[in-house]
Amino acid sequence: MSQTTSEPTTEPEPQQGLALGAAPGDLLQRLRTAVARRTEGRAVALLTLVVITVAIVEPRALTSYPVTLGRIALIGLVALGLTAVILMGELDLGVASTLAVSGVVMASFESLTVGIIVALLGGLLIGVVNAFFVVIVGINSFIATLGMLFFLRGAAFVISGEQPVRVANADTALQFGRPLVGPLTPRILIFIVVFIALHVFVTRMRVGREFYAVGGNREAAYDAGIPVVRRVFTGFMISGFVSALAGVINAMERTAADPTAGGTVLLASFAAAIIGGVLLNGGRGSIVGALLGAATLGILQVSLTLSGVQVDVQNIIIGSVLLLAVISDPASVRRVMARASTFLSERSKPQPAG
Amino acid sequence: MSEQPTVASDAGVGTRPVVDARNISKAFGGVQAVDDVSLAVVPGEIHAVVGENGAGKSTLMRTLSGIIAPDSGQVLVDGVALQPGDTRAALAAGISLVHQELSLVPEMTVAENIVLGSTPTNGGFIDRREQRRIAAEALEEIGVTVDLDELISRLSMALRQFVEIARAVARKPRVLILDEPTATLTPAETDYLLDMLQRLADRGLAILYISHRIPEIFRIGDRITVLRDGQHVDTVDVADTDPDAVVRMMVGRELEATLGEHREADPGEVIVSAKGIRAPGVNGIDLEVRAGEIVGLGGLVGAGRTELVRAILGADPRTDGEVTLTYDGVTHRINSYGAAIRAGFGYIPEERRTDGLALTMSVTDNITLPNRRHLSRGTILERARIKRFAAQLADVVGLRPPDVSREVGQFSGGNQQKVVLAKWLGREPVAIVLDEPTRGVDVGAKAEIHRLVRELADDGKAVLVVSSDLPELLELSDTIHVVRDGRIMGTLDRAEANEAAVMALASGQTAGTSAGSDTTSEVDA
Repeated sequence: MSQTTSEPTTEPEPQQGLALGAAPGDLLQRLRTAVARRTEGRAVALLTLVVITVAIVEPRALTSYPVTLGRIALIGLVALGLTAVILMGELDLGVASTLAVSGVVMASFESLTVGIIVALLGGLLIGVVNAFFVVIVGINSFIATLGMLFFLRGAAFVISGEQPVRVANADTALQFGRPLVGPLTPRILIFIVVFIALHVFVTRMRVGREFYAVGGNREAAYDAGIPVVRRVFTGFMISGFVSALAGVINAMERTAADPTAGGTVLLASFAAAIIGGVLLNGGRGSIVGALLGAATLGILQVSLTLSGVQVDVQNIIIGSVLLLAVISDPASVRRVMARASTFLSERSKPQPAG
Repeated sequence: MSEQPTVASDAGVGTRPVVDARNISKAFGGVQAVDDVSLAVVPGEIHAVVGENGAGKSTLMRTLSGIIAPDSGQVLVDGVALQPGDTRAALAAGISLVHQELSLVPEMTVAENIVLGSTPTNGGFIDRREQRRIAAEALEEIGVTVDLDELISRLSMALRQFVEIARAVARKPRVLILDEPTATLTPAETDYLLDMLQRLADRGLAILYISHRIPEIFRIGDRITVLRDGQHVDTVDVADTDPDAVVRMMVGRELEATLGEHREADPGEVIVSAKGIRAPGVNGIDLEVRAGEIVGLGGLVGAGRTELVRAILGADPRTDGEVTLTYDGVTHRINSYGAAIRAGFGYIPEERRTDGLALTMSVTDNITLPNRRHLSRGTILERARIKRFAAQLADVVGLRPPDVSREVGQFSGGNQQKVVLAKWLGREPVAIVLDEPTRGVDVGAKAEIHRLVRELADDGKAVLVVSSDLPELLELSDTIHVVRDGRIMGTLDRAEANEAAVMALASGQTAGTSAGSDTTSEVDA
């Protein structure tokens, strides 16, 4: 019917009738909008707070920065890989076990090069198996990777004969722990490279960017024609590979692979991601955030250790910081304040019996 | 490919159909969702698909867009059969679906969402300039201005709806399918959307339009296909029919003449009293609801009505104000949601999926959730009594099918809403608050819900209703408070209330020039 009615130039004169979009506003307004769109705000605030406190209380943690950087790289590397998985709304609890088993596998080979290659390929394979259980079989990733956590830790003990395994070419390995560029050890350099690569991957590349769609609204991702299954495989493979890389680095630095390695890494890497504003449900967060979270934790740990604070007390402090990071978003603060005021006003008035 | 397209049976417009769905059938479990339905759409046509909830509209549309594969039948695009159950193939053939449930990614930008699934790349890297160009072009085509770099999570529901449409348009579709696109829009936004669709159709796009809102269909539709219980009832030209006839075809029976018929209101004592209520989005509101009275809250989406009722109930914290519930000579002060429920409030929230129901639990469990105390001996739940109780309530609200052991998630929207109602009726509340009680609910269920609400008031309960559906608000309410910017802008009693008066107050326009104009609307971001 509408084809016969040829209305004279009632064409798309862009009707600005509906004032739906906000006007761009001035520079300050634009800046405020840009900040509001970021997810790392709290991580920046927390890191600033920690750095200032540490600068006053324990400045050695900042002056001896190679140590601190090493610590950040240790926590951070695994956290970066983990973030790729969390962005898709999945979990990988197997990261620490992957770290341990890949170190042991690497050390079991006569040739360092072969060992490294096999260990890294092993990490990719672990990612494939995880993803298979999660998206092909359809097991919740918490459960699937919990299984992996136990399986791989056990495997690390079996392969190593429950003993630390010396790395074959100890001299080369020893070199690995030394600074390469200025004060930067290979561990720190690798961490930086992985950070840049993953950051570019999830912000600039289509495959990585679609992780956000998979995690933010999986059904929408399917409907839009995004190959969700392939994306989940990619994510778990990144996590597996990066964890294996961390395991190789650990074994190289210590010239021996310990099957108990990485005991604290699992929770620390999750903590780093969460502090960095990465939402466990997926779809929200950034690689930069994970880096900031790792930096916060690393600086905190080093300064507490240098101050001679016991490990148990350290854990209490780190736990508090984690909770602080999570509840300190403006919405939560407002909610708590409002509840408190309602609660108090309720108390101040005598209530008739009901 | 091999099959020669037979000339479509309807030669009415004299054009070959773009999409020709033939004898589509699809069953879920034992339920025949779509049963041998055929549908053809020609270029430039706005083809409305109507039917009650559960009539099979959404299933049919999801089949056309390749999200689900039919059990039998096929979809032809330009005479070529489409690979069933392949969204990419459907997209490539030019079928673009705008979902009922918004399918945008909240933490991605407007531009990214518009190109999602077909992001332009250059050696694996996103071609941002091209991405912005495509997005800007699509938005311009529908005549909406949005910051391309804004995150979806920071946009209003209305804007998200328009971005969703821009996304469908960006795919250069030949057929655009819209599933209840106006459900969350204000009247002005709806006007705008309908004009926009008309423009798109005038340029030769074929549009399949699903809606419960009959007036919209009669305004823009060319033809109407009516579905009932998964079957094709009829396809008629809009020019040859009228709203009553369409409703009759949808429900397959005459609706009891409830529309417009007012109950004799006989308000008693003040039961609910709220004074000086302040909360985020609520700026000092007083209101009272008497026994046997239905008080309606009108206004635009985002005016602060939901915030108001939640603050009254203590479901969200108040910054100031006092609420009391008085009956049987006792006054209960309400300072928390728990206190509200204990004192005798019932609350049917706006988002029944998230706030009102446990979708994976049975109807029985959902109904008895707030009624456990009087259904248990000590701490032990009495199963037989619970079942009887649930079945009774299901009967009162007219649940269909009346199977209380089924999971709530398996019922249609209208029936889910009845479960929410049943759940609260079981507690015999003295005051009941309903927020958008019939949004997304079909005509039949809507009439039943209205009947129930009126019965509640006749029973002497105090009823507070929030509704953006003007006819509903006018039909149900004894008194209407119109809310804007968290304040009551005016109060209308039954005699003086009409659509124009409510809209004038709601939109802040002077009375008389309000209805239907699309010049301004207030949408909160």
